[in-house]
Amino acid sequence: MSRTLRGLACLSLACAAMFGLAACGGDDDNSASTSTGGTAATDAGGKTGGTIKTAYTSFPDYLDPALSYTQEGWQSLWTVYTPLLTYKHAEGAEGATIVPGLAEDMPDISADGKTYKLKLRTGLKYSDGTAVKASDFEHAIKRVLNLESGGASFYSGIVGAEKYIKDGKAQADIPGIVTDDATGDITINLTKPDGRFPYILTMVFASLVPGDTPFKNMTKDPPPGVGPYKFDNVRINRGYDLVKVPSFKVTDQQVGKLDTISVQIIKNRRRQTQDTIQNKVDYMNDPPAPDQLRDVRAQYTDKRYKEFVTNSTYYYFLNHRVAPFDKPEVRQAVNYAVDKRSLARLFGGLLEPGCNFLPPGMKGYQKVDPCPWGDPTAAPDVAKAKALIKQAGVAGDSVTVFGNDEPESKSLAEYLSDVLNEIGLKAKPRIVEASVYFTTVGNQKTKAQAGFANWFQDFPHPGNFFFLVDGKSIQETNNQNFGNVDDPDINAIFNKADQNADIDAVAGDYARADKLLVERAHVVPYGHRKLTVFYSDRMDFDDCTVWHPVYNLDFTNLCLK
Amino acid sequence: MSIADSSVQPDLSPVLGDGGQAEAGPAPGISAWALAVRRLRRNKAALLFGALFVVLVALALAAPLWAQVADTTPARNHLSDTVVVDGKTEQVVTFDGVPIAPTWHKKFFLGADQNGRDVAVRLLYGARNSLFIGLTAAIITAFLAVLLGMLAGYFRGWTDAIISRSLDIMWAFPVLLLGVALGVSLALGGLKIGPLQIQGGSLWIPTLIIGVVSVVYLARPIRGQVLSLREKEFVEAARAQGAGPVKIMFSELLPNLASTILVFFPLLVANAILLEAALSFLGAGVQPPEPSWGTMLSDGVVLLSTAPHLTIVPGLMLVLTVLALNVFGDGVRDALDPRAKVRLEH
Repeated sequence: MSRTLRGLACLSLACAAMFGLAACGGDDDNSASTSTGGTAATDAGGKTGGTIKTAYTSFPDYLDPALSYTQEGWQSLWTVYTPLLTYKHAEGAEGATIVPGLAEDMPDISADGKTYKLKLRTGLKYSDGTAVKASDFEHAIKRVLNLESGGASFYSGIVGAEKYIKDGKAQADIPGIVTDDATGDITINLTKPDGRFPYILTMVFASLVPGDTPFKNMTKDPPPGVGPYKFDNVRINRGYDLVKVPSFKVTDQQVGKLDTISVQIIKNRRRQTQDTIQNKVDYMNDPPAPDQLRDVRAQYTDKRYKEFVTNSTYYYFLNHRVAPFDKPEVRQAVNYAVDKRSLARLFGGLLEPGCNFLPPGMKGYQKVDPCPWGDPTAAPDVAKAKALIKQAGVAGDSVTVFGNDEPESKSLAEYLSDVLNEIGLKAKPRIVEASVYFTTVGNQKTKAQAGFANWFQDFPHPGNFFFLVDGKSIQETNNQNFGNVDDPDINAIFNKADQNADIDAVAGDYARADKLLVERAHVVPYGHRKLTVFYSDRMDFDDCTVWHPVYNLDFTNLCLK
Repeated sequence: MSIADSSVQPDLSPVLGDGGQAEAGPAPGISAWALAVRRLRRNKAALLFGALFVVLVALALAAPLWAQVADTTPARNHLSDTVVVDGKTEQVVTFDGVPIAPTWHKKFFLGADQNGRDVAVRLLYGARNSLFIGLTAAIITAFLAVLLGMLAGYFRGWTDAIISRSLDIMWAFPVLLLGVALGVSLALGGLKIGPLQIQGGSLWIPTLIIGVVSVVYLARPIRGQVLSLREKEFVEAARAQGAGPVKIMFSELLPNLASTILVFFPLLVANAILLEAALSFLGAGVQPPEPSWGTMLSDGVVLLSTAPHLTIVPGLMLVLTVLALNVFGDGVRDALDPRAKVRLEH
């Protein structure tokens, strides 16, 4: 998931537990936009109707389901577009449960794990009344691949996908996707088994759009989708509206309560906070401004304000290919010296200190206890760190610590520089503009020795975190494995586990990989981000706040008092 | 900024004495410069603010001493540390990220910032950086402006046209935007022009940028003055004696430009310090970990309500420094030419 801190992209909460494959059976009714027979669409209670105003700090990267890769984008897009598979609109482990979306039932997976068979519900219509066809799924995936979306890599395992990308012909066929509009059958063939694929099918990228949707960025005029809301009044960089679709009634799918959710871009977080306090804004997506956080906590906690730990990890990368971090003792020294209590202060308390690389809400998380580098809530062992630096013979070596110009990242880079200086290295921070930060440190030519990094889950599967430290994911440019971590033992564990669709069976393997990653000091994880909900007085805080583990605050559950 | 009047020459008119009576003058043996010094000494406000500037420079030079007293460095983070203030143990930075306010003791005398760094120590080290950049940039500006102004004014013709049009193009750019564009582009990769190589985080990057973009403010008045001076009899006489252009420019014209340069110099320093603060505030000036008043202001803005000292302290220092230079600069102008109306308008 995009690492942009702008607007604090966040995709998860403590989604700890079971991945249950919930069957959806039943017949659907005969209304427009419904599947055939079955029980009515879900309306979870609470007052319906009304309009609210929400504030974002920045406009979403895209309002096109094929392209958007930020929290701001996905939070809205999930309400407008529904993929073949989706999640329950619930909190915690229940919210991480995959359920059929536009598919009638969960996929029929072949024994070798390479073939997925689904069937589209019948009678589905987009918000503009167009009928939904099975071939629309292939078209949606083609758009992701053809437009070089950030999500393209998730679907490159489909047979023929890489050739499709290479040939560059938009209308060419992807042989690994076979659809039949008459029957609604959809068959997906993979080049190799991938236990994460059900989750990949839930991603917004895989949302169905009409088969004539152009192969271009449709943010200015988003295509219609099948969902409880539709986009209206899109004003780039200023805002947009989510308007309820009354005809949306897909079995077991959540319908919206509010009539309209108006998203406004207010760049100044202090102003957002003030407007929310004064009830001019009903919900602000980002945490309150740092110097107002204390007052908001004191006055509004559990009345209009709440904090949630996300499925994210904040860490420093240490480049294994560049001295001095090519030496394990030096990486160990950094792990010993970093004070996680100090780092939590840099986030104004919105960071849960931790030792693990996997976040606490993630399947496969087992707390590494005792932490080999010291208790995250206690003082660090700087003396030991200094001794390791001496032992490694790198005292006085120059190090550049990269950070970007967003407030927390800059402070984090300055902090680590100070720590490295304290233990005997000669470090200084280098601050890069946020919009080019990850491409800069992800370019091997930069030879970034150390720096800030973070990751928010794309979907609640540990494989989504381990690709950041997978030797196979190292690239010359746009590298996400900033530390160039390539440990054969750890690679073997999670690569094998990734092939198994039964996540319960391999949870222990992921826990082992996480423990090894920490013990071998390949990265310096220090905590997991907390994000917030802050409402106006109009909002029903108690009954209509659902923090989804993947999509944050669930817009479909919002309601007024 | 615009220059209201570009002509400044030492004034030899009689000086009013304490009784309001015009003194006879200039007295025999008293040079024009001595007269100017006498006028300056009578300007109490200029002397006061000049002394203030000297005090600020002294404080900046004493930064390492204060750092020793406070037992810290400008980059040292004390996020999880505690400090005893009046017998009470306080956190340097609370768990919800609020730094300690001024303790008025040797440790964290002016409080701490969000990284737990001592504000007083950073302020003094920031003063060193700001004053270094201000003074050095002003020297670069003066050097380039005098050179270009003299060449344009003396040779006229194509030389003047090329130089003047180039200055006009630079004048057309908003100085701050130009500075930000250059600062951001050079901050990461540094500057490499032939043998000249400067690293990205060096103080020389903002110094050179400010020195160059400020040339227009002095070059045009210098050019105007040279255009006037080249027609004077002493220049004609020098030419008649066989002096070449270089000798005339440096032996005849430059001494006559000295007073202009002197009047403008304090204002250039003030302008450079302000521009450096603005560039650093926008992230295009002084790079971390070097402290600067501009970066301190930028860092402090996010905690305006809970830690106002983070913005008040560097802001106040900036105001005092620029005010001191401006008032002293006005005093120098008045001393050299009481009738001149030179000022830099923002």
